Amino acid sequence: MSDVIETAGLWKVYEDVEALQGLDLRVPQGSIFGFLGRNGAGKTTTIKVLLGMARPTRGEARVFGQSPVDAQSGVDIRSRVAFVSDEKDLYDYMTVGEIIAFTRSFYPRWRNDLEQQYLRKFELTPGREIKGLSRGTRTKVALLLALCRGAELLMLDEPTSGLDPAMAEDVLQSLVAHVGREASTVFFSSHQLSEVEQIADHVAIIDRGQTVVSGPLDELRAQYQRIQLVFEGDAPEIRVHAPGTHRVRRQGRVLTVLTGPPKGGPSQVNAVGPSQVNAVGPSHANAVGPSHANAVGPSHANAAGSSHATAVVEELRGYRPTSIDVTPVTLKDIFLESVKTED
Amino acid sequence: MLWHKAWLETRWRFIIALLILTMMAGSSVYGFIATQRLLPVLNANTGSPTVEATGLGEAIREAIELQKTFRGFVWYQAIRQNLTQMGVFFAILLGCGGLLSESTKGSALFTLALPVTRKRLFGARAGTGLAQWFAIAMVAPLSIVLLAPSIGERFSIVDALAHGLCVFVGGAVFFSLASFLSTLFGDVWRPLLIAIGIACAIALASFAAPQLAIFSVMNGESYFRYGTLPWTGLLISAVLAMALLYSAAETLERRDF
Repeated sequence: MSDVIETAGLWKVYEDVEALQGLDLRVPQGSIFGFLGRNGAGKTTTIKVLLGMARPTRGEARVFGQSPVDAQSGVDIRSRVAFVSDEKDLYDYMTVGEIIAFTRSFYPRWRNDLEQQYLRKFELTPGREIKGLSRGTRTKVALLLALCRGAELLMLDEPTSGLDPAMAEDVLQSLVAHVGREASTVFFSSHQLSEVEQIADHVAIIDRGQTVVSGPLDELRAQYQRIQLVFEGDAPEIRVHAPGTHRVRRQGRVLTVLTGPPKGGPSQVNAVGPSQVNAVGPSHANAVGPSHANAVGPSHANAAGSSHATAVVEELRGYRPTSIDVTPVTLKDIFLESVKTED
Repeated sequence: MLWHKAWLETRWRFIIALLILTMMAGSSVYGFIATQRLLPVLNANTGSPTVEATGLGEAIREAIELQKTFRGFVWYQAIRQNLTQMGVFFAILLGCGGLLSESTKGSALFTLALPVTRKRLFGARAGTGLAQWFAIAMVAPLSIVLLAPSIGERFSIVDALAHGLCVFVGGAVFFSLASFLSTLFGDVWRPLLIAIGIACAIALASFAAPQLAIFSVMNGESYFRYGTLPWTGLLISAVLAMALLYSAAETLERRDF
């Protein structure tokens, strides 16, 4: 599977702000790629560089194998990409019909059938002025303009920001259906981790302008394990030494340990599609726990994730917990672990 | 479609400028009748040796002399004052705005994501603005040609076109200046105020250094007095306007959004 987006050591410095600090990113063709990070992590800057709206200070960015820095290559890239910005600001002085006609004129592969379909689905009236539309309806117009271009890559910056849950769900379903039908790639940034988990098959988490986690979502989840130990009394204060221990949290009788790839570098998983992820279960906890351990580990845990968890369980077994549960992690766990603040 | 977009963005400024400058030019035709009635009074009051001996007296005497004929009146009132002075303001107004000001409204990213180069985006905007300015510069003097017969006078169409050309080329410098400033400042007000400030400074400086008198080019004084277009001034103005537009396009090309 080839990569539609590649960046290597990408830096972007705005006066005295280092927005990107050596960003490495690979987005496989055909994927729904969730691009995550805290506010100011560099997500929007990355998208701007990829579309030729901002020039990289150093490093390399390629979309469809072309550099967006060159003016003509930038035009070629943008002819194959549909972009929806965070603000969804369109031309206030146009009507819905006028902005559709305007946008259509730049894309020879414009899909009239999809235009009619999304006009009906999103209940958009061509004669309405953009300036009179709600934020939600503007988002729908922006999505229509993006989805009808016949683009090979959809680049969406916070596609559901400002939408109510019902509308956000509607938008997500439209995206998934579109990608399934049109075989395009989606690269989208979002703060809504549940949304990313819902539709993405690949994710990258960036922090302070660098990629800290990247890969197929299922494989990333398999790399991390949450081990929950319950004690008869208060959980002891324990310092876990096993490699791959990321976080230890005591709460009453419960001690929770998050394990994952050893620290010190970004967690990179080979870019393979979710269909290629082998299911290798069951959890190791059955084998290593005390006799009464209750194992509910993920069936898809891979060998690396298991070995880290195994080492932790081995180490903690000596404290004689009443039960040990190994449970799958959520994207939120991985995100918080990846971008946790220094304090 | 980029031209259509640029038209939609600037149409109200253009329409307002066209209406105001055309109305001012047209109304000056009828001002000629009233001025003719006043001239004998003015002659009586400025004919004293004490007034005539001063520079001010000389200027007043020349103004009165010029306005004795319809051609002189049109040049002095409609071209030299109204069309040149107000024209500079409207040329600047038409030049303000563009991609950078779109970024303050938020729609710049939508525009920049289109598969066109920034030079083409800028070219469409500048081309539309210059076309609008050309229309204004030509329609206003031509309205005098149309209205003059209504008071029994005549203004040559060749004179109207010659003055229109001078107004257009001179105004294009200020249009281009505003376009250039609009690639440096995101709002509309700073380019507008700075460009007006520069125009005022040039006007003041031209008293001391007449060779800086771009306004003399714009009002076509040499054509009016000697029947010769100010070719050198027109050429310098055109080159200056193109240089400013080129600088604006280059600045926009290098800019991060």
